[in-house]
Amino acid sequence: MKKVLAMILAGGRGERLYPLTRDRAKPAVPFGGIYRVIDFTLSNCINSEIRRIYALTQYKSTSLHRHLQLGWNFLAAPLGEFVEVIPAQQRIDDHWYQGTADAIYQNIYTLQQEWPDLVLILSGDHIYKMDYRRMIAYHLEKGADLTVAAIRMDRAFSREFGVMEVDGNGRIIGFQEKPEEPKTIPGDPGGILASMGIYVFNMEILVRRLLEDARSDSTHDFGKDIIPTMIGKDFALALDFRIGDRGGQGYWRDVGTIDAYFEANMDLIAVTPQLNLYDSQWPIVTYQPPNPPAKTVWAEEGRMGSALNSIISNGCILSGGNVKRSILSPKVRIHSYAEVEDSILLEGVDVGRYAKIRRAIIDKEVQIPQGIKIGYDLNEDAKRFTVTESGIVVVPKWIKL
Amino acid sequence: MQNCQRAKNEGPEEIISGKNRKGFLPFIGDRIMKKKILVVEDEESLRLLYEEELTAEGYEVLTAGNGKEAILQLQEGKPDLVILDIVMPVMDGIETLGRILGKGRKIPIILHTSYPGYREDLMSWAADAYITKSSDLKELKNKVRELLEKKKD
Repeated sequence: MKKVLAMILAGGRGERLYPLTRDRAKPAVPFGGIYRVIDFTLSNCINSEIRRIYALTQYKSTSLHRHLQLGWNFLAAPLGEFVEVIPAQQRIDDHWYQGTADAIYQNIYTLQQEWPDLVLILSGDHIYKMDYRRMIAYHLEKGADLTVAAIRMDRAFSREFGVMEVDGNGRIIGFQEKPEEPKTIPGDPGGILASMGIYVFNMEILVRRLLEDARSDSTHDFGKDIIPTMIGKDFALALDFRIGDRGGQGYWRDVGTIDAYFEANMDLIAVTPQLNLYDSQWPIVTYQPPNPPAKTVWAEEGRMGSALNSIISNGCILSGGNVKRSILSPKVRIHSYAEVEDSILLEGVDVGRYAKIRRAIIDKEVQIPQGIKIGYDLNEDAKRFTVTESGIVVVPKWIKL
Repeated sequence: MQNCQRAKNEGPEEIISGKNRKGFLPFIGDRIMKKKILVVEDEESLRLLYEEELTAEGYEVLTAGNGKEAILQLQEGKPDLVILDIVMPVMDGIETLGRILGKGRKIPIILHTSYPGYREDLMSWAADAYITKSSDLKELKNKVRELLEKKKD
């Protein structure tokens, strides 16, 4: 069996997720009630029997570090298994990571120490379930130097992705980073083959290409620099996500913007979500402190502690208030006569009596005073909060209302 | 186009003494045309030896006794090629290599060491050549010439 080392790029600033990323890196943003975004990628690794995992961090990594410490320290170190955070430490040079390739290059000593056969490079920013073993098997079977996971996206989104062009054998023959005029899929003029930022590299090729890149005028990025230079020179393959997709629904989301984040969360409250969290053969692991079960109290006319079509985490108390189509992280409290609809409430949020919240994201520990309305008058909300294009109001952490 | 670039990089004297006219202005020509080599070597006797031998080959030779000095020399002396020992005090050759790469410098680098084992250091793969030290400097000299030729292309 080949030795595989996973390196998760967890250093993104996530500027378009602000203010959720004001105090934490994008992979550490809470998701789906009890998870953090990075839990999905990490769980994919563990469920794919990959147990040597480094998460490369750079900005605001304390929250992520703490989460991994608490929730992901269960591997067997004596067997060479680990989930470990490597902060940017200017080991080779005195600057921060300049691009995704630079992040790996600056940690070349880690590769040397582990000396894996294959390096699986992942992003900590995506929500999906994938069996990386299928991808690795494909990579080995075809004798590739590099395999890139690919998913069909609508042409309209080409500016958000690396767009690949492949020949009949799946060999990558073109790669455009965030193009305006993308190459579409043959026979599918409305579709593009988007890179998912998931790469399997033969270690030696990876190192050689990184070192060459380090010496050249480059942005030191896999999509912009490394992959384009490998085309023609090396054997680079695209792998259809459907081959590794666990669950078979083709579900993959980059929660890069507040709106995308909101939608991806809300996907989970569907009757049968595309992203199945109930697959006992593919558990999504996270850290959960020992909170008591969720609870509802008061059931009188007009004062009903209840939740409909919602996700309610442990430690929540719906005390005479009403929740619809929402996601509540642990320890949220909804007081009497309050109404919450189509919203995401992160851990410890306290919604006072008669408060009304609609289409909002409330960050951790925010105290919502009695009678306040959020999401009902966006012009008013925009004076205090971030309001997205589609009208989602974000109430940041630490705010005093 | 290429001529223009060369002129820009190497200054006006290069045009005067340009290849076709070599011999026409031998003095200036020689001075300008000489390639500069930075020898980074902590052992003084070896450093002197390499300096002598490479000077005899027609190169201008700069020297440094460790990586830190080498970085300074790179900035100030602007050499065309670096011969880099690995085991040195203050800053070793591998770390120096990383520093040079980090500055985005495309200058050719020859790792020159008594220990073949450093090939297992992944950073050593970044060098243009890895030569094990020998009393016969032929391999080193050939490699220097080869890399400088390649650089010209």
